[in-house]
Amino acid sequence: MSRKEFSNKKPLQLLEKIRESLERINEKMEVIIEIQKHGHKELQLVPDASLDVMTLLSMPDHLRKTAMTICRCGRATAQEVAQQTKRARAVESAYLNQLVIMGYLKKERKGRKAYFHTDRNSEE
Amino acid sequence: MKKNMNKIIAVHSYKGGTGKTLLSVNLAASLAKLGKKVGLFDLDFRAPSLFAILNIENADCWLNDYLNGVCDIEKVLFDLSDRIQSNGKLFVAVANPGTEAIRDMSVKDRKWEMQALGMLLSLRNTLLNNQEFDYLVFDTSPGLQYSSINAIVAADYVVVATTGDRSDVDGTRRMLRELYNLFEKKTGLVINKVLDFTSKSKKAEVDERVANLYQVPLLGLVPCFCEILRAEGNLIFVHDKPNHPFTKIMEDMAKRIAASKME
Repeated sequence: MSRKEFSNKKPLQLLEKIRESLERINEKMEVIIEIQKHGHKELQLVPDASLDVMTLLSMPDHLRKTAMTICRCGRATAQEVAQQTKRARAVESAYLNQLVIMGYLKKERKGRKAYFHTDRNSEE
Repeated sequence: MKKNMNKIIAVHSYKGGTGKTLLSVNLAASLAKLGKKVGLFDLDFRAPSLFAILNIENADCWLNDYLNGVCDIEKVLFDLSDRIQSNGKLFVAVANPGTEAIRDMSVKDRKWEMQALGMLLSLRNTLLNNQEFDYLVFDTSPGLQYSSINAIVAADYVVVATTGDRSDVDGTRRMLRELYNLFEKKTGLVINKVLDFTSKSKKAEVDERVANLYQVPLLGLVPCFCEILRAEGNLIFVHDKPNHPFTKIMEDMAKRIAASKME
């Protein structure tokens, strides 16, 4: 952000920007932590990835639970997925972002919220 | 608030010929006899049979069309409520038995199967929430294939039909471990075509053997009835023979499924 842009913004807006940036950094760190936990193998981009039932069956248990929840809801935030799986929001956020990196899910930001959905919904 | 969670019931088995369709039709009819609004779905697209069993002559829209996204589910459902003696309602969605339709369904790709799962999942909203259906019963293809796994994933409860046949026992045990468990599905086992089912002690013995072998809740034991074979699949048995022991067994299963409540 240039000095001119900086001076035009109100302090509250700036704080909001900083908060959004911090949240994004936090999400990326959560993914990095998960990669270290489970190894790199399962994080490779899958060509023509689709979240069909055979793919769900072959997934590691921890990712299947998250992917199944998105399949059922169609579209959800990490917080909404966490409510259903009874796991921590940070954990679900990491798993959801892993599924995005692998190509199984799409992620869209609306304001401060990040929504995850399958390809199926984007075509409807 | 407590509410019944077994709204969508998939009837599945490892092998063919275990009585899935017989159980599906009669379970759906038994639920309807409890005064419920029930939808019965033929998801066995490789060997459709409900249109023949329920004498449905001609359909403008098939369940295939709904999954292909070219027809609303309301146009697929046939009202068969006049075939059961109760206040309940029974609707059926049949699969297209034409050779071309079977061929078409057998060559669908992963993307289509994923969309088909979405269509099945959306029935919860269109039929259960908006049209006040109480139960949907999915009659599936045997074994591990897309259409049946889609049905299992979309269901709340899986009725697993099996027989005493050795080849069936082993495969069913594997499916319980490696399919329903992985999808965290509630299951109820139905042992069909049980022989020598004469005394209470014999029933207790079978109950114990099944509990040890499969380690899942037993939903029901169905003896081998010649009357069912004689009917040649031409009727809704629980409607036509209301006092037959088979009817009592099916009604008991329906009551147990309907009574299952969760917080």
